[in-house]
Amino acid sequence: MDIVLRAALAFWLIYFLTRIVGRRELSAVGPFDLIMLIVLGDLVQQGVTQSDYSVTGLVLAAGTIAILQVGVSYLNYRFKRLRPLLEGEPIVLVDDGRVLERNLGRERLTRAELEEQARQSQIDSLDKVRWAVLEASGQISFIPKQ
Amino acid sequence: MADQPDGIVLRRHRDLEGRRWHPWLRRGLLGLIALVLVLALFDIFGQASSTTRAEAGAATLSVSAPGAVRGGLLFQFRITTEAHTELRDARLILNQAWIDGLTVNTIEPSPLNEASRDGNLAFDLGHLPAGSKHVLYLDYQVNPTTVGSRTLRLELQDGETPVTSLERTLRIFP
Repeated sequence: MDIVLRAALAFWLIYFLTRIVGRRELSAVGPFDLIMLIVLGDLVQQGVTQSDYSVTGLVLAAGTIAILQVGVSYLNYRFKRLRPLLEGEPIVLVDDGRVLERNLGRERLTRAELEEQARQSQIDSLDKVRWAVLEASGQISFIPKQ
Repeated sequence: MADQPDGIVLRRHRDLEGRRWHPWLRRGLLGLIALVLVLALFDIFGQASSTTRAEAGAATLSVSAPGAVRGGLLFQFRITTEAHTELRDARLILNQAWIDGLTVNTIEPSPLNEASRDGNLAFDLGHLPAGSKHVLYLDYQVNPTTVGSRTLRLELQDGETPVTSLERTLRIFP
């Protein structure tokens, strides 16, 4: 029983952490972030299965996480009011070429980082952006002016 | 062209109406996590050692060990017996809390005899001359499923005669 409880606790802890650290950290996966993801995975594994090397333990832990993942997806799909809590909401960063500094600061994003993201979307100047939206996933969508 | 992209509500997603308190909630929750880390730095979750001592005319008994440990951790108890007068048949009595849910990896030096006394552990140390000191090391590992707080009781006897005793708490975090 305890392995199910530990897996559930690990799931909600990671879910909780990813919701509160902010999208800035989640959207960028550089070499350091990749290593940290692997380290985090290892730490979670130790806390969940500890010294249990059995296949049964694997089934229980993986099954718990899968069921919770499906459960969260269903809640997100079924209850619109829960979406902001479970998934987050988009934030407009650029409105008709005007950078909304307050919204940038809220996500700890700098103008230089926004410009970098724009360049990666083949946009050479934020003046040419009609809308830039930081999505709940952490990606920035750019909609150029017509 | 639409005024804004589909799914974007300007009052909420641009002007952040009804969302201004969100960063404070996030900061508060991050603060809670930081608080847990600070508590860990102050050894709330183990495993710095502390010493508990019991003095009597015939002997002094002391136990050095962590007051808090976590599942799977290795740790050590050090039980020191200092005889002020001769103890002909020194014996340590440890209650069940010393063994339930814990794995004893080794006891050094091995007691002359180990026995069960009403469910408690009895370790015979043998003859301790006046002024001598006996140190018993017990190396443990916490069973991963063991959690909670427990009271460890330790009594020093000379034969069947109680000499001194002490209690200390061991907290086991999951």
